[in-house]
Amino acid sequence: MQTVKMVISGAVNAGKTQFIRAISEIEVVSTERKATDDTKDIKKETTVAMDFGRISVGDDLVLHLFGTPGQKRFDFMWEILSEGMLGLIVLVDSTRPETFRETNRIIDFFTAYRDAPYVIAANKQDHENAWSPDELRLALRLNSDVKILPCVATERETVKNVLLELLYVIMQRSTEE
Amino acid sequence: MALVGNLRDFALADFLYLIDRGYKTGSLQLNRQSDEAMLYFDKGKLLYAARSQRSERLGEMLVRTGKVTPQQVAHAVQLQENDSGHALGVLLIEQGYIARDELQRHIQMQIEETVYGLFGWPDGEFCFNAGTKLDKDDVQSLVPLGVENLIMEGVRRVDEWGRIKDHIANTDMLPRFVDQPHEKAKSINLTPDEWRVFARINGKDSIKEIISRTGLSEFDVSRIIYGFIAAGLVEVTRPRPANAPAPTTRAGAAAVAAGIPKRSLVSRIINRIRGM
Ligand SMILES: Nc1nc2c(ncn2[C@@H]2O[C@H](COP(=O)(O)OP(=O)(O)O)[C@@H](O)[C@H]2O)c(=O)[nH]1
Ligand SMILES: [Mg+2]
Repeated sequence: MQTVKMVISGAVNAGKTQFIRAISEIEVVSTERKATDDTKDIKKETTVAMDFGRISVGDDLVLHLFGTPGQKRFDFMWEILSEGMLGLIVLVDSTRPETFRETNRIIDFFTAYRDAPYVIAANKQDHENAWSPDELRLALRLNSDVKILPCVATERETVKNVLLELLYVIMQRSTEE
Repeated sequence: MALVGNLRDFALADFLYLIDRGYKTGSLQLNRQSDEAMLYFDKGKLLYAARSQRSERLGEMLVRTGKVTPQQVAHAVQLQENDSGHALGVLLIEQGYIARDELQRHIQMQIEETVYGLFGWPDGEFCFNAGTKLDKDDVQSLVPLGVENLIMEGVRRVDEWGRIKDHIANTDMLPRFVDQPHEKAKSINLTPDEWRVFARINGKDSIKEIISRTGLSEFDVSRIIYGFIAAGLVEVTRPRPANAPAPTTRAGAAAVAAGIPKRSLVSRIINRIRGM
């Protein structure tokens, strides 16, 4: 049995848990713990550890999805998670510019670490005041070769689309045999 | 539909960049304590800016620069009070106290000064309403201003590290020119120090190296580069990590080592997800 891994990261409240929940075959395993620091005024209870979801591809292949928090104090986890990962999705809450800086830090961190394929998901596009993917590209100063995709983590079709777009990027980098 | 946030998290320079490159039309309202400013943009250019607590009124400015006399302003103000609705500038022109283009130039200067002042706000709510047009007939034939020079000038007045650190994490970063330097690059005015830094950017030298070659301070070089970034001229990248896979032609073994998957595996996953 071969296992491959994708990592979903993003600032607190970006929608990581929701995203994985929308597509995972299994009940998402979330390690909920009381936040003890600056995150606490955002949500009373926040996922400070991680989410885990799974999609079986066949008898011999399974895709694991890991949601990992973006806070700096969890940097050590990224190191573990990015080991052997197929690709990365960075979720951004399109309604909250106060998280853009953090989002950039996450992108920087992962790309400095490994030259991993990644896409950005502009989440919460159903929200009235959501910044559009084009606006986010300018706000986050993303190069034109980085995909930024509209996403509503509560709608499975958009989540599927984000995963597929990441897979197309991975495909371009894959080897013939 | 509005873009809302706080300047603490998203700097004015970044917002102007978004307006410029996004070719935006609309109004940007800024609020800080009891102060308020309103900026209007048309297709990425600044059309008008006004601030509630502005340091100097138009009349005062014109008197200070000797374009009109205090008596002429007083007269125009009086006319304004009697026959409401007309802007001071319009009345000054009508009375033949000032030429239209002269007034225009001063209004333009005042607009620029207003924006520069706003760069000093460490925080403040912003709200951008796309599509909102300037509803003013008193300001005549405003010349749309390109924002890139406003950004450069605004950034010259930045005196805190915080903003700069948003874009330049450390001095090991490598500045390089953006791929499409944009037509606009040509119209940016640079100071001599800015030119010195500009001329050193080659995509190979780190900021640290530029600092030592120019003899400028770390703060000044960082601020200047921040200005280039804010205006969309330059981007900074991290030096390549030591453990990143080196480019290689021996795809096979190297691919495995770098964790590059096989095409067949990727297409299986794609098919699975398509079918969900
Ligand atoms: N309207 C809307 N709400 C969302 C979306 N994605 C997530 N949320 C909500 O945003 C909040 C944070 O989502 P969560 O998945 O817990 O974020 P996490 O901290 O990144 O795991 C929850 O209340 C979600 O229901 C979305 O696309 N649209
Ligand atoms: Mg969560």
